[in-house]
Amino acid sequence: MLSDITLGQFFPGNSPLHKLDPRMKIFLIILFIVTIFCASSLLSFCLVLGSAAFLTILSRIPLRQILKGLRPLFLIMLFTAILNIFWTSGENLLWQWGFVKIYAEGLWYALFMIVRVVTLIIGSSVLLTYTTSPIALTDGLERVLSPLRVLHLPVHEFSMMMTIALRFIPTLIQETDKIINAQKARGADFTSGSLFQRMHALVPVMVPLFVSAFHRADELAVAMECRCYHGGEGRTRMTQLHLSGRDYLFLFFMLALFALVLLCNSVSFW
Amino acid sequence: MGETVTGGKISLEHVTYKYSVGTPFEKTALDDVSLSFEGGIITGLMGHTGSGKSTIAQLLNGLLKPTSGTVRIDGKDIWEDPKKIREIRFRVGMVFQYPEYQLFEETVAKDIAYGPRNMGLEESEIEARVLDAARFTGLEAECLEKSPFQLSGGQKRRVAIAGIMAMRPEILVLDEPAAGLDPQGRREILGGIREYQRENGATVIIISHSMEDLAVYADKLMVINQGHLFRYGTSHEIFCHAEELKQVGLSRPQITKFMMELKREGLDAGEGIYTVGDAFEAVLRLFGGERSHAE
Repeated sequence: MLSDITLGQFFPGNSPLHKLDPRMKIFLIILFIVTIFCASSLLSFCLVLGSAAFLTILSRIPLRQILKGLRPLFLIMLFTAILNIFWTSGENLLWQWGFVKIYAEGLWYALFMIVRVVTLIIGSSVLLTYTTSPIALTDGLERVLSPLRVLHLPVHEFSMMMTIALRFIPTLIQETDKIINAQKARGADFTSGSLFQRMHALVPVMVPLFVSAFHRADELAVAMECRCYHGGEGRTRMTQLHLSGRDYLFLFFMLALFALVLLCNSVSFW
Repeated sequence: MGETVTGGKISLEHVTYKYSVGTPFEKTALDDVSLSFEGGIITGLMGHTGSGKSTIAQLLNGLLKPTSGTVRIDGKDIWEDPKKIREIRFRVGMVFQYPEYQLFEETVAKDIAYGPRNMGLEESEIEARVLDAARFTGLEAECLEKSPFQLSGGQKRRVAIAGIMAMRPEILVLDEPAAGLDPQGRREILGGIREYQRENGATVIIISHSMEDLAVYADKLMVINQGHLFRYGTSHEIFCHAEELKQVGLSRPQITKFMMELKREGLDAGEGIYTVGDAFEAVLRLFGGERSHAE
């Protein structure tokens, strides 16, 4: 049940996207997001949508998995679409009932909004979260952010905290599942009763969960100190990151997409 | 090798269970398993890691729903009415591996009372059951008012087991109840389980890796291999097939091996010795016999 949550979960694989340098991926995703928000004509949206589909195929992540990640955002998309349909005014009035007016522009905006959100999610999950292991991700982030060390920001510590947090999410989920099962075996009922009763029913889950999380944190800290961990200073890495031809190829692809989208923005269809 | 046991208090019939159905992580834990546990005795469930023991345990009290097949208690399908599965959980008590983590209340007594309270019992009845459960698990009265987080690991284990016993389930399933405890703690906990079984006429299933413990405390043994019933019988019937046990990654109790060694060295104290107590008597008999022979 709890382990069904997949948004932002690494999906092991061996696709070209999996092999990209995480630093490059972080850069590519930023570029992709900028591209998505620059797109403003039908043709450029088609381009963005097409490239999102292309990336999905490249990543070899099952479509079902990606759709599952989109499901929680369905309501938000619906809501923004409705807002856009009813509140956008333009020149081409399609339908009117009292003060409710629907313009062609509204429909277009709604459609674009949905395409934006969908490509944003697909792009970021396919490029980053599904194809990058959490360790590689924080490693990449640390490198990308490392110039900030000049400003005395503890970049290494932040990324270590993130690595640890990410590392323990599955553990905590498992633990929660285990505790829920144990309390269910003692007759706990999480699914009926008033809101207050349900919140109260969670106490037997939350207390052991916090106790064990603190316990774990303590043990981890001791284990790290035993191995002489003392922060990022002078620390070398087991895996060095290298940009390869593949990374530059993807960069070229993304830059080309960006340029094409800017170009196509001036081509109007409606 | 598939022997089937029919009838019984609680049984699995052609049960298949798959984890994470519909994801790339789908895994079949049990494939068409049929087995049955006799009522009113302690059955020891053995099998090496990953043989499906824990899955079987969770199927028995309805924490997992079989992908196909039925689980029956007294011949009745427990999933007949899915809304009543909570009642099944009161009838089939389940003690998980390392159950210490399930403690959450301010005091030990309150924690033990959590299960009975969920059953909707009256306060006086709850109190009686808490004291009863504390007696089976050897918890002293002064312990009951302490916070469970102050206790030692062994005592926490007792509180967790008492929390299940207090629901007075007719079927009690324990997954490695004595794992990680010192020998005295093991004896006391397993002895308490035996006492609970006798006093309530309960059906008890103990999952364990310890052949020694099971040889002493279980009436019947069931060996599971790769999600299938491999052997079922008394400890003698199981442990006399040493080679067969080795095949499935298990071994005979250490004391049995020791007695075999003794025999090889020329001291034959007899066959079929599976507990230290039996060995003690056999050796005594042997030396007693020799002494009288020498005289």
